[in-house]
Amino acid sequence: MTVRLRSLAPGLALGLLVIDVVGILVLSVVTPSFLSTYNLFVTGRDLSILLLVALAQMVVLSLGQMNLSIGSIGGLVAIIESGLMVRYGVPVAAALVAGLLLGIACGVINGLLVYWTKINSFVLTLGTSYVFAGINLGITHATPFYHIPAEISSFGQARIGPFPVMAALTIALTLLLATFLYQVVLGRQLLAAGGNPLAARLSGLPIRRATLTAHAISGFLAAVAGTMLMAQLGQGQPTIGATWVLPSFAGPIIGGAALAGGSAPVLGTVLAMVLISLIDDGLVLVNADPFWVQFLIGALILGAVVLGRTSLSDIRAFLKISPGEPRGLESTR
Amino acid sequence: MSAELSPVGHEVRLEVSGIRKQFPGVVALDDVSLRLRAGEIHALLGENGAGKSTLIKILTGVYQPDEGEIRLDGTPIRFSSPHAALAAGISVVHQERNLIPQFTVAENILLERMPTRGVQLVDHAAVNRLAKPWIEMVGLDVKPATAVAELSVAQIQLVEIAKALSLQARILLMDEPTAAITPHEVGYLFRILGDLRRRHVALVFVSHKLEEVFELCDRVTVLRDGKNASADVAVADLDRDQLVTYMIGRAEVISKLPPKPKPGDVVLEASGLITVEGDPEISLELRKGEVLGLYGLVGAGRSRLARTLVGEIKPAAGDVRVNGAKTRIKGFREALEKHRIGYVSEDRKQEGLILLHSVRANTSITIWRRLVTFGQWIRRSAEDAAILPSLRQLDVRSHSLSQPVGTLSGGNQQKVSIAKWLAAKAEILIIDEPTVGIDVKTKSALHELIWDLAASGKSVLLISSDMPEVIRLSDRILVMRNHAIVGELPNTGQYDEMSEAIMARLS
Repeated sequence: MTVRLRSLAPGLALGLLVIDVVGILVLSVVTPSFLSTYNLFVTGRDLSILLLVALAQMVVLSLGQMNLSIGSIGGLVAIIESGLMVRYGVPVAAALVAGLLLGIACGVINGLLVYWTKINSFVLTLGTSYVFAGINLGITHATPFYHIPAEISSFGQARIGPFPVMAALTIALTLLLATFLYQVVLGRQLLAAGGNPLAARLSGLPIRRATLTAHAISGFLAAVAGTMLMAQLGQGQPTIGATWVLPSFAGPIIGGAALAGGSAPVLGTVLAMVLISLIDDGLVLVNADPFWVQFLIGALILGAVVLGRTSLSDIRAFLKISPGEPRGLESTR
Repeated sequence: MSAELSPVGHEVRLEVSGIRKQFPGVVALDDVSLRLRAGEIHALLGENGAGKSTLIKILTGVYQPDEGEIRLDGTPIRFSSPHAALAAGISVVHQERNLIPQFTVAENILLERMPTRGVQLVDHAAVNRLAKPWIEMVGLDVKPATAVAELSVAQIQLVEIAKALSLQARILLMDEPTAAITPHEVGYLFRILGDLRRRHVALVFVSHKLEEVFELCDRVTVLRDGKNASADVAVADLDRDQLVTYMIGRAEVISKLPPKPKPGDVVLEASGLITVEGDPEISLELRKGEVLGLYGLVGAGRSRLARTLVGEIKPAAGDVRVNGAKTRIKGFREALEKHRIGYVSEDRKQEGLILLHSVRANTSITIWRRLVTFGQWIRRSAEDAAILPSLRQLDVRSHSLSQPVGTLSGGNQQKVSIAKWLAAKAEILIIDEPTVGIDVKTKSALHELIWDLAASGKSVLLISSDMPEVIRLSDRILVMRNHAIVGELPNTGQYDEMSEAIMARLS
């Protein structure tokens, strides 16, 4: 009879925040090099990119679907952009716009396929993932486009104090996404469609538009992440995005997303990605075996999933808190 | 049929007494008893929410009773799990099927006891050979190796019975076995059940349909609001009126509703509507300020008709008119936005609400588009201002607007699923089974609410299999059976008269 509240968003976010702060304090004390300009810059830059990757997954998860092609989209966008600039001398701005539009188009293809065929998004995006990666390899034959224009590669190295400039872009996009999902009609329709597609349809919501929007945003964020990694590397590497699948899921899941859809924990995802990069960075700094990083992240995911399975009433029963009597709404405002 | 096989003198197989089962906020069963003899077919009757399913789940070990005793062959017994009940020889044939569609008939029958060869390899030949006698026993004319997915609903039911028999079931619970099969198949099923009676199997037959009780059953137990309205009465000693009285109780428990204005012009009209090719034509008129009751049993085609009216199911033929204008509605969205028609689903958990989301989001979901200020932005203050009047009008009880709707009581959930249509200013409401699984007091409050809506000029198409509900609320009553409207009755409000008139249309 109890309802499983798989998204304990506020409590979970607070817990993650505490862990993050403690982690930062501990690393600052234990390893002085943690606060070095170089370390903050490098870690911040990786985080800026991977956070977008995680958000690209989160927005599709909030619809109750998945996108396995995030990395392939990021890679394809990066090599198309760099190819246009390097091989065809297309101006930087035009190449970037083309790349971002391509990312959105890839997302829309995913969305249309899922909506039309009703086939599970896991299966479909597994397919498109191979298709996008295949186009990438077909074009590049696995050879990077070297020597991208300096405007782009210097953006990848730019910093203000120890902070990477690209972090500003990520922060802006994160805030925009949160606003969109929580405050804008289409965003809330998207969440409702994820929470219960039948109820959303019965309430007259445009399910197709919500589906396409979620996948388009996912493609767009993947494209931005691919572009940023290209800027950081200074070249259009065909391997860009190849390792993104696991972190893309780890962030939202540790952050409290329900795989069944309906929840979009932007803050949780941010804090989870901070935690993952702290673990990553910390283990490197203390000269721990880097091969154990994956193990720790795995343990984190398992912990988050078990916690997410716990219902609010289980926790209340555990803490022996009585929910009190519900009242009429006259008194609530 | 029942007289010649009267089981007088047969030993009592199962005796249930003083059963009480409470769920948060509702007593589902209170001091319920049931006596079941070998070789009898025992009808378990009651309306939706009367407690039949809860009792079945207690007998099959899904729930444990809070109080009371179960005796099997005279020995007190407790079923800690469905498995324990199965081991004791109690099987249930469910409304929702329990077979694996991709597996064959034989595999499903022997699912827990697959014969193996060598190192745990399934011996398919043996599976088919061992299952065959059971398939033949229920007269099922399919090969053992046929996939269950290829069978009809009636055939699947027979497979379930075969499976139960192969498990040496001595007590077989049939949960509304005739709800979804054709009259011809019902006749066949009854012959099989008659065979089982001769083999001294004790059968419990859950049904809504009184004619089936008189045709098939030996004894009857009726539940009403979680209590025994009658326990263990011989069907031969009953007539239809008595049974109806047991099921729905006395008419005077229903309080009077205040008078409301006479219905006005026709707002929703269907003429010659055919939902599925081959079905009869359906015509109906709903007037402004009217409650039009659509009474019928589960499977009569009521929800399908409702979905056809809003264009969610494309009609094979016929017209729908809204406020006199012929229109082709293309689904829920257009129904709401163009025609102000709201559909309150009978399944509020699956189709009505987003359980994880807040009361606020579940109520305002229908009006987000209207709430936007500049751009596409929704201001929370405007959102709350738009939904609070509806929530207050329905007296929704919650801790706050941010409380997940899934944590509310059933009655409050139902109120939220109606409130969203009020917030959207729907003028025509199609309300499907509004009080299923809702306790008596909240039920009464929901009735008053529906009445008030009609009195304030909304038009309500009330779909229900709850006869007192339909008679209490409706201005007119349409009776639906086998996908056809078989009667239109002006409602006099006289319960006995109306229930008899409705029953007459159903038989």
